[in-house]
Amino acid sequence: MAQYICRYRKGEPLRWIGHLDLKRTLERALRRARLPLELTQGHNPHPKMSFGPPLPLGATGEAEVFSLHLTEPLTAEALTERLRAQLPAGFDITDVWTVPGYKKRETFGDINVADYRVVVATELSLAEIHARGRDLLAREEIIVERGGERPERAVDLRPMILTLWAEARGEDEVELIMKLRTGSHGGARPQEVVTLLGLDPSDGALRICRTALGVEGEVPPERPKPGLHRRWTRTRR
Amino acid sequence: MCEEDATAAAFLVGGKQDLAFDTLLARVAKPARYTNAEWNAVHKDHGRVRACVALAYPDVYEVGMSHLGLQILYHVLNSHPDFLAERVFSPWPDMEDQLRAAGLPLATLESRTPLREFDAVGVTLPYELTYTNVLNLLALGGIPVRAADRKQGDPLVIGGGIGAVNPEPMAEYFDAILIGEGEEAILELAEAAALKDREAALDRLTQIAGVYVPSRYEYAPQGVGPRGVVRPCGDAPPRIGRRIVDDLERAPFPTRQIVPYLETVHARVTLEIMRGCARGCRFCQAGSVYRPRRERSVETLLRQAEEAVVATGFDEISLLGFTSVDHPQIEELVSRLGRRFGPEGVGVALPSLRADAFSVALAGKIQEVRKSGLTFAPEAGTQRLRDVLRKEMTEDDLFAAAEAAFSSGWTRLKLYFMIGLPTETEEDVAGIADLVRRLAAFGRGALGPKRGRLQLGVSLACFVPKPHTPFQWAPQDSSENLEAKQRLLQQTLRDRQVKLSWTDPRVSALEAAISRGDRRVGRVIELAWQRGARFDAWGEHYDFPRWQQAFADAELNVQDYANAALLPGDPFPWDHVDCGMAVEVLKREAARAMEPR
Repeated sequence: MAQYICRYRKGEPLRWIGHLDLKRTLERALRRARLPLELTQGHNPHPKMSFGPPLPLGATGEAEVFSLHLTEPLTAEALTERLRAQLPAGFDITDVWTVPGYKKRETFGDINVADYRVVVATELSLAEIHARGRDLLAREEIIVERGGERPERAVDLRPMILTLWAEARGEDEVELIMKLRTGSHGGARPQEVVTLLGLDPSDGALRICRTALGVEGEVPPERPKPGLHRRWTRTRR
Repeated sequence: MCEEDATAAAFLVGGKQDLAFDTLLARVAKPARYTNAEWNAVHKDHGRVRACVALAYPDVYEVGMSHLGLQILYHVLNSHPDFLAERVFSPWPDMEDQLRAAGLPLATLESRTPLREFDAVGVTLPYELTYTNVLNLLALGGIPVRAADRKQGDPLVIGGGIGAVNPEPMAEYFDAILIGEGEEAILELAEAAALKDREAALDRLTQIAGVYVPSRYEYAPQGVGPRGVVRPCGDAPPRIGRRIVDDLERAPFPTRQIVPYLETVHARVTLEIMRGCARGCRFCQAGSVYRPRRERSVETLLRQAEEAVVATGFDEISLLGFTSVDHPQIEELVSRLGRRFGPEGVGVALPSLRADAFSVALAGKIQEVRKSGLTFAPEAGTQRLRDVLRKEMTEDDLFAAAEAAFSSGWTRLKLYFMIGLPTETEEDVAGIADLVRRLAAFGRGALGPKRGRLQLGVSLACFVPKPHTPFQWAPQDSSENLEAKQRLLQQTLRDRQVKLSWTDPRVSALEAAISRGDRRVGRVIELAWQRGARFDAWGEHYDFPRWQQAFADAELNVQDYANAALLPGDPFPWDHVDCGMAVEVLKREAARAMEPR
């Protein structure tokens, strides 16, 4: 029995592939790679694995994670090599770690922050966007209505926005760099921040890239050692 | 980071990646339908081949990607150094709106090349209700929909598939239509496309066995409905025989099957274990035109399964064939596949079962892993009517199959029936209800303490007379009668463990009218398409009044085609197509069906 954590990039070619479809893609790649997979018990056995929080459709990711169980230990290098040969363009394994000891299942449930870089088309000056950003962060609370969810509810986004910055990116484009809360205890979406800045959040106008996932602040005490998680948060800049 | 991704994307799409297209993808449902790099998809250089072919399936991606024929032709063309094939599917209406609004032509998945830039566009004709989608595909791809309007430089539009056995409704929209099986002929068709000269290619196509070049024929209607004669204008052959693969064992078969990202109708390895059917059901067109029955050997199938599982990573192998349990070595095949792949968690599925204890026992052996329902097709409610159909199934067979199913743990059965069959009486319709009630009672008894889990899914289709079958002369029952029969069954089959489903008789009427249609019906299809008809096989898009209006505009009506009883001497618009079944045989079978019982 051996357990691994794999970090991967979800690139441009796969940005329109949804989370569940990506999971299925990995399952099939694992089967093609003929790895000694540990299967779940029951009616419909499938490889034991778990994924980090889903990316929004259309976004790319630089440091996404999944975990994997094998029945026989392999070196991280061997696992990387065999997986890479079977993964489609745009699904790039960047790092693999062996998890010391054996846990029943790695769930990534502790992940609570995500870094994003969002390229937005705009005619506003960088100074104007900086000013809007400062105003936004100076607010006590930022109440927004969440559509699409039922019942529709009001959420305070202010505590969910940890950092926000903007840089120029060529003509008529800026790049927003933000750290947002994410995960099961609530979070903000990058599109929401774009809207709050008065920029055009509609599909074609944005490119969202999640650059890092991590754990910051209160980690529930019974969860695994934070040291391990810290390593996922590393970004390749 | 994100910048690197932008360059990575450029390699993928042959340099034709454009932001405009990505912007469209952001606005449609399931954008993965239109992306281009599934595992095992083939990207070849357009500059290094003699002919580029777009293979089109006139339905949405998830349906088209479950079609084995498309994958076979894709494989044959791409395996050849001189040709390449790319895929295109009907865009869902949301994507069509986006394409039209942006002024972008419909393009293939692999290289996003507009259809109009290909040397040939091959279109499958899987069923009648996709024909508006065929026209739409061509128009969106920048190709004139009528063959007569195409000029030098426009692609050759070539059809094929089961719909080709009556090519007339689509005749004016295709440059050529292949009758029969395509895996051998496709290379000959690609050679014609490689001539890159329209007239020379049409001359060449006329010479290829099994190929119908509609522009070299004229149609003379004789009265109303499906009566008329198709005659060659010049030296084109008066009758076109179908192409058929002699030796399935040596026929090309794709083991590097494309692995879709999206969940498709059938996401699994497909092994074609046999083709054709040796049974003689009189309503069945596929059974009639794909004779004789041919099989692949167990050794070949095991080798293909091995290659395909390794190449795809699918976790299920489906054994395809009209009645796959009729394969002479089916038991050996199933047990060897099970021994080989069971331990890896790869299951085996039999999509078509015969209703008898043998089939159920076989299914029980392999479907332990994923227990779904079993499907049987008694077709009719009484033995008399099953004899009329020449459906070789007795009530004893059905009950034996049901008993075997219940005792090996199945609790869900699906039953397929047809209404409106030739010679059908009230007794036959009531017989369906009676049979289902008795089967339900039997099931509850056999399941004992588990009786609460019993579920019978009863599906009622409307009979559609199909060309090249002994029932091609038979009228379809009127929509009013069909509705009355459905109502009767809805009222008499009130059982919470019986789920009744039925098809809309007005959908079946259109299917019948196109199925027996001629070139006049083709114009109706074009009118309906111009009025916005798309995806007619999808309930939410089917609009009967629109079709009625299209028929009226063409000064025709649906009933003349669907509900007319034709006479043995009537000339049919599909008489120039020879599907291997002599008309005398069909007439004899039709006469036998009508004998008093």
